[in-house]
Parts: sequence; structure tokens; C-alpha cells
Amino acid sequence: MTTTTTMIMTMTDERRALLSLLAWLSPAFPTGGFAWSSGIEWAVESGDVGDAASLAAWLADVLRHGAGRSDAVLLRHAHRAAGDPAALCAIAELARATAPSRERLAESIGQGNAFAAAARAWGSAVLSGLGDVPYAVAVGALAGAHGIAEEDATLGALQAFAANLISAAVRLIPLGQSAGLAVLAGLAPVIVATAEDSRGAGLDDLGGACFRADLTAMRHETQYTRLFRS
Amino acid sequence: MNTTSAAASPSDLQRARGGLHVAVKRRGAASVLADLRQDGCLKARFPHAPGWFEAVTLNSSGGVAGGDRLDADFAVGTGAAATFSSQAAERFYRALAADPPALVRTRIAVAEGAAAEWLPQEAILFDHAALDRRLEIELAADSWFLGLETLVFGRAAMGEQVRGLRLADTIRVRRDGRLILHDQIRLAGDAAALLQGRALAAGGAAVATLVHVAPDAEARLAALRDAWAAAPAEAACSAWNGMLVGRVVAGDAAALRATLLAALCVLRGGRAVPRVWLI
Repeated sequence: MTTTTTMIMTMTDERRALLSLLAWLSPAFPTGGFAWSSGIEWAVESGDVGDAASLAAWLADVLRHGAGRSDAVLLRHAHRAAGDPAALCAIAELARATAPSRERLAESIGQGNAFAAAARAWGSAVLSGLGDVPYAVAVGALAGAHGIAEEDATLGALQAFAANLISAAVRLIPLGQSAGLAVLAGLAPVIVATAEDSRGAGLDDLGGACFRADLTAMRHETQYTRLFRS
Repeated sequence: MNTTSAAASPSDLQRARGGLHVAVKRRGAASVLADLRQDGCLKARFPHAPGWFEAVTLNSSGGVAGGDRLDADFAVGTGAAATFSSQAAERFYRALAADPPALVRTRIAVAEGAAAEWLPQEAILFDHAALDRRLEIELAADSWFLGLETLVFGRAAMGEQVRGLRLADTIRVRRDGRLILHDQIRLAGDAAALLQGRALAAGGAAVATLVHVAPDAEARLAALRDAWAAAPAEAACSAWNGMLVGRVVAGDAAALRATLLAALCVLRGGRAVPRVWLI
């Protein structure tokens, strides 16, 4: 009897957790993600990204060898530290320090702070006292505090990251809506592999080798005509 | 499983160890050597240079293999100014799959009102090198720091490509006790193939990271952008939080060096670059 009740409770909790995660990672959640391109705007201007194939290749590299993997590692550690304010504070400080440029830091904490504010409706005390909170840390800590599985939060956030950059590229290249969606669908194995790769990584195992993605983020600062803030 | 005997394999005896500690202090208007300890293969020379105190490190082992360990520790006391560089490009040789990576640890502590520069020569990664390098900078609130780290993937002159690599290369900067920069390069596997990616290096074979932290570091952004406008390599920079950070991706070591020299010219107030940079 007790076991049955516990199982029913657990299933109810899991369903509620899924609903929360879907809401938080929805493009409609007011993090202002539409305003940031992580340098894609300059990559399109410079010709590095110009069609669906080059967009898919760029995003696969950034996921596997750049911000995607690093943010996944930070998200996982924030999830695990959701009950430890001091550890969470240190992870937030580390995440801010990993930003490779002024606009990429603004992108991370702009979305993180907006995410924390919007998540108050669900209860987001875990995010208070962290200062400017990087987006990956905000998602990880809130997911941890609300019993959302670390794996689900990691996969969901990686896909949301890719989808947001694809949405920017669709407007910038420009690319048809269905071509953009095909890029997202095609990135699924890369997203899964990135999540796998990040699972066992420590906080001293961040970073990557997306040197030219960093250059594009820096060059975006002096781009003459800009639709995006990064 | 006896971990102690596993750690003390016979090849440990052949692994190079180097330790270096250099402390610099202010005396009157000059910056002078306050303390020096040298162990193993790592040594320092002190060329008489006008202006700032200068130390040049020298690795007498002739190159770095898997399992080697180099620790350099520099301290610049209150009000002092020092430049640290290296005598020659450092070669990181092929490591066996079972070898631990070479460990290179450099720490630079810069006190109140002090200034320090870390301007080493290139690090050249041979095919199947394994390197774990870490540069730790500890600054006071008003310290002045300029540093760079380079990586050259393979000996281009010999047509070598890096088909296997284990690399972690980290720059960490703390200012007034707070972590302000954690820049980490991480690359494992077929580097020559991975670096073809346009988000990585688009085939570039040499990269550098430049970090300048000072109360007025952000004000140098425009000057560095101008200096790099005609650089022979792809180079860009950004400034935030009292830092100026630059990234360079070059086709070869020569273009990388020329681009870095252009940056040093505008960020060092016209002081001559260390002689080792001009050879």
C-alpha cells in the first residue's frame, strides 16, 4: 500500500517536473533568447555560415567543442549543487569567468537573470544570492531544485541552445523555416553525444577549441548593422 | 591493487622534473631579485634589461615528454615590475597512450601596485603530444598584468600534422580573490581534422590567447583593434570587467608571432620587447 502510494506520488512528481521543464525551455519563456546570436550574426556576415550545411557544421562544432559542451558541464554541476548555496555560488562565478567576450558574457547573464525572474512563478529561491546568474547555471540549479532529472535538463537545454541559434540563422541567412528545422532534427545525434560527453566531466574539464567562434563573437562588437546583441 | 607501486613505474626515473621560483621586489626606483630557487631542468637567466626586471626561463631537458612536470612560480612584490619570458620555443614530444600528460604549471602572483608580464615563446605540439598546461594569475585590485600563451600544432616546416593529441590548456586569473577569467582550451583526438572546422580554426595551425588586466585595460581595446586590423593572422579582441582579451588564429607560427608582436607594441607603452622575441 505504502509502495503503491509512493509510486503514484513519484509518477505525479515526474509529470509535474516534465511540465516545468517544457515551460522553462520553451521559446515562449521570457529569457529574451531571440535577441542573442552567439556570434552567428557575424559568422553569416563573414560567410562562414551561409546555408543549411554550413550552419549545421558550425553548430555541431560549437556543441561538441565549444559553448555547448561547456555549458552542459556547468548545468550538470549546478543541478548537483542545487542544495548547496556556497557550491552554487562558486559554479556561477566560474561560469561567468568562462565567457570568451563581453557580448557572450552579456548573453549568458542576460538570459540567466531573465530566466530566474520568470521562474519565480514556480519558486526560484535556489537562484537568489548568486549575483548575475549565467543561463546554464540557472537552468541546472532550478531543475535540480524541482526534481527534474539532470539528463533531461541537459538534453533539453542543449536542444534549446541549438534551436535558438538556428532561429537567428534562419532570419540572417535567410533560410526557409523547414530547412532550419531539418538542421535541428539532424543535430539530435550531436546533442545526445554532447550530453554523454559532459556527464562525467569535472569543473576543471571545461572549454574547447572553438577559436574562430570566439573571434566571431568578438568581431560582432564592431559589426556595422546588427539585429542581435551578440 | 597497490596504487603506490603503479604510480612508481620505472619510466618515472627518466621523467624530467623542473621547479623554479623567482621573487622580485621593489628597491628604490628599481625592481630587483628577492629570491631564487631552481630545481631540476628548469632554470632562469637574468639579462640586464633597461627598465623592468627581466627573467628568462630555460628548460635544459631539451623538450617535454609525457609525464614530465615543470613548475614555475613567480612573485612580484608591491610596486615592482617584472617581465618573464622563455629562452626558446618549448617542444612537446609524442607521448605513448599509457603516458600521463606532461604537466606544466605556472603561477604568477602580482602584489599591490605591481606589474608583471608573461611572454613565453611558442609551445610546439608534436604529433601525439599530451599536455596539461595551466597558467594561474593572482592579482591585487590594482595590479597590472599582460600575458599570452601560444600553441603551434605540429612542425609545419617538416610537414607534420597532429593526428593525435591530448590537450588541456588553461588560463585562470583571480583579482582581489575573485575568479575573473577561466579560459580553457581542450582538444583530444585528431587535431588536424578537428581544426579544419570553421568554428575551430578553419585549418589554422597556430593559436594564441592574450590577456591584459589592469585598471585601464578596457581603454586599450581600440588601440589593439587598430594594431590587429592589418595583422597577418585572424585576430580579434574584447574588453570587459577590467580585462582585455585577445584571440589569434594563424596559418603558421611566423604569422602568429608577427600578430602578437603588433599587440605587444601597443600594449607595452613603447618598451622594447624582450630580446628573445627578436631572434
